[in-house]
Amino acid sequence: MLGGHPIIRQLTEKSNVELINSLRANFQAAQQQRSDGAPTTATATATTTAKTEQGASRYASWTKQHDDTLYIPSTEFGYGLSEERSAYDITVKLFYLPGIPASRRCAHTREAIDLVLRELHVDSIDLLIVSFPGILFDADDDSEVEEEDEDADADGAAGSSDAGSEEDDFDSIVQTWRTLEGLQAQGMIKQLGVAEFGSERLARFLPHTKVKPSVDQINLKDCCVVPKSLILYAKQERIQLLTHNDCMDILPVGTTRELLGPGAKGAGILASAPDADDGIQGDVAPQWVVKYTAVVKDRGVVENKGYFALADVGSCVKP
Amino acid sequence: MKWRREVAKAHMAPNEHPITLTTFPRLGTKDDYIQPYYPPSGPALRSQFVPDEIANPHIRFPTLAANIRSRRGRKVELNVPVYKDTNTPEPFKDPTVNYDLHIWPEDDDVRNGAAKDDHVYMDAMAFGMGSCCLQITFQAKNMTEGRKLYDQLSPLGPILLALTAATPIYKGFLVDTDVRWNQISGAVDDRTREELGELPLKNDRWRIPKSRYASNSTYISQDPRLRKEYLDPDLIVDEDIKKRLMEDGMDDLLATHFAHLFIRDPLVIFSEDLEELDLNKADHFENLQSTNWQHMRFKPPPPDKDDIGWRVEFRSMEIQMTDFENAAFSIFIVLVTRAILTYDLNFYIPIQRTTENMETAHARNAVHDRKFYFRKDPFSPRRPNPHSSSGSNVSSTTSSAANSPPPSPSLTPVESEYELMTISDIINGSSDGSFPGLIPLVESYLNSVNVDVETRCSLASYLDLIRKRANGTLWTGAKWIREFVASHPDYKQDSVVSERICYDLVKAVDEMSVHEGRNGTVGWELLKGKNI
Repeated sequence: MLGGHPIIRQLTEKSNVELINSLRANFQAAQQQRSDGAPTTATATATTTAKTEQGASRYASWTKQHDDTLYIPSTEFGYGLSEERSAYDITVKLFYLPGIPASRRCAHTREAIDLVLRELHVDSIDLLIVSFPGILFDADDDSEVEEEDEDADADGAAGSSDAGSEEDDFDSIVQTWRTLEGLQAQGMIKQLGVAEFGSERLARFLPHTKVKPSVDQINLKDCCVVPKSLILYAKQERIQLLTHNDCMDILPVGTTRELLGPGAKGAGILASAPDADDGIQGDVAPQWVVKYTAVVKDRGVVENKGYFALADVGSCVKP
Repeated sequence: MKWRREVAKAHMAPNEHPITLTTFPRLGTKDDYIQPYYPPSGPALRSQFVPDEIANPHIRFPTLAANIRSRRGRKVELNVPVYKDTNTPEPFKDPTVNYDLHIWPEDDDVRNGAAKDDHVYMDAMAFGMGSCCLQITFQAKNMTEGRKLYDQLSPLGPILLALTAATPIYKGFLVDTDVRWNQISGAVDDRTREELGELPLKNDRWRIPKSRYASNSTYISQDPRLRKEYLDPDLIVDEDIKKRLMEDGMDDLLATHFAHLFIRDPLVIFSEDLEELDLNKADHFENLQSTNWQHMRFKPPPPDKDDIGWRVEFRSMEIQMTDFENAAFSIFIVLVTRAILTYDLNFYIPIQRTTENMETAHARNAVHDRKFYFRKDPFSPRRPNPHSSSGSNVSSTTSSAANSPPPSPSLTPVESEYELMTISDIINGSSDGSFPGLIPLVESYLNSVNVDVETRCSLASYLDLIRKRANGTLWTGAKWIREFVASHPDYKQDSVVSERICYDLVKAVDEMSVHEGRNGTVGWELLKGKNI
């Protein structure tokens, strides 16, 4: 699924509404342009790994099947950027979605970055921020944990109610980071960043890294309540604290089916249920979402912004 | 700004303070408010209220004032409606006007009805051009971007004027307007009776509807979204100049703009500039350009400086009493320009509506009591080419309003593109979601760029001030000053702002500039609100 519309119409909404709306608008525009016979110039795509050709005539005109991947809409990776590469700061944020095995993240990261590079006609990005599922930054928690630390010398898992899964997550995060460090070494990514890490988690994480995150992006409604501990720690470790307004659950399964399904606001590609016969059958499993922005550095103008998302469809896609 | 205040303070006497009021509330009274004292009725201003020495002594300024007066054929005339309080005389006849002065021929003005009933009367350039404003200059990437910003910021001028309202007192009286704009307009109005339409045209070339200080009357962007219906069909232009500009390659829109500015006579010319015409200098152009005081100004790069590009000035805002407010409004406008360029926003309305909005902005408490014409949908139709938001490729092409592709057949009537909106809706978005609001647009922009936590935090405090000014939670400067006067023990509900009140007011403003309303200190009503 591609949603590359640089104009945001739902301004007060969180990014998942922005994502869904931009995907939907992009699908509609692609359908419209096809029926008008105009060349498609949409800037973004969703790819769906699907095995079936059934009913494909309905959407074949505005999507593209390549091997076992369906690009919705078919993208032609149009114009790229208008000024020279050095004029831009290109930030990419990759959302690894919940329930997807961490072992796929290496391939997913490459796929996602590849799409962005092709879309923007560049060979590198300036900053890749990765968002791991299930990590929620909470300003209050962070400061509480700090206080507990001081009072009771609690260990690193303080504040977590489920230390076991926390450990798994932590290991997978470290594993994933190795992949990112590899990509960075290849020169494809200038800087790496994480999202929603409190000072506690950062302190645990940093010793496991060769390349330190340059950025920790946190979602705060009122940024004036950023815990002092995090500000001080980040300053000490030279990690820039950036703000964002993205949604944690950026592309849920239900939303994906609604978006691609046969309903009034759907794209008419997926079936209404895994075993229904009104579209491509099977379970749908969103794998990742990537958001990219190209900002003209010295003028602070966002020239290009968009999303790509990937979902698997089939009978054995569930992790 | 804090540093500027310190520098200014260091050069002042111990009993002097740098304050940022738009006007001194008792300018033009017989008080001892200028040191050293000079008597009024000097040869340049011929004002019965202020001395010539009040103007900058550089020969340009007294000459400017004198030439405006002589071109006009009488003194400038400012009549501001007085605020009618319970004890204000009915009708109100400005008690400070001297009808028995016989020093200059212009002293006849008041005997010929220059001072109007129910108005505060003023007669000199100093009453207008002595005002302070908050003016922001943007350098654009290129001419194309400059022209776009000029057009898109223009409809915001009256909105920000009303939102920054801070001028409720003139010459010691509460007036029924909240902003300075029209007073400056009157203070430099050099139009003759013929140009004003008071006499049939005989010697002059045109009837001119606006002062040289007024809201702007042209759109100049070569933007396919600029419909010809937005332009003023009755715009006065010097057709000979326009023809000449176009013959030498200027496009129609820009030629129209400058041929409109050039309907004015120069106000001051130095004789040495007339000895030889130096085409490497822009002095003659600047002479006319800089005495057309419109609420937007489009400034070409100066010929002798390589590091200055195409600039646009946003000139309508009133100066605020504290540095915090001035920073908030400055930064807000900068962020709005970034949102305009990022989202390719479209604020076009017919330019006459902006002129009307400018008048509306004068009303007492216009920010909450009045509605303003504003475009309903600020978004542009979906563009196939993401480049066009930057406007970067346009400058090298020949596209213009005249030769751009024909408008799409789906264009709606111009009248249905805009409506009357409250400033709260324009700034914060309408409750039904039909208009997104400038602050949500700015926040959406900020969410799209990498902003560090501390910067975002200070931006949030600035945006919060704008948001609350717009929705009425916080007062404008004008309202605060009115309330200060109304609650002063020396005030007698007769519209008179006495020397005593004025003294206490200025002291309070000075204190406000230091404490900025923190912890319930003076001015919290316009800076912080109740709960902080």
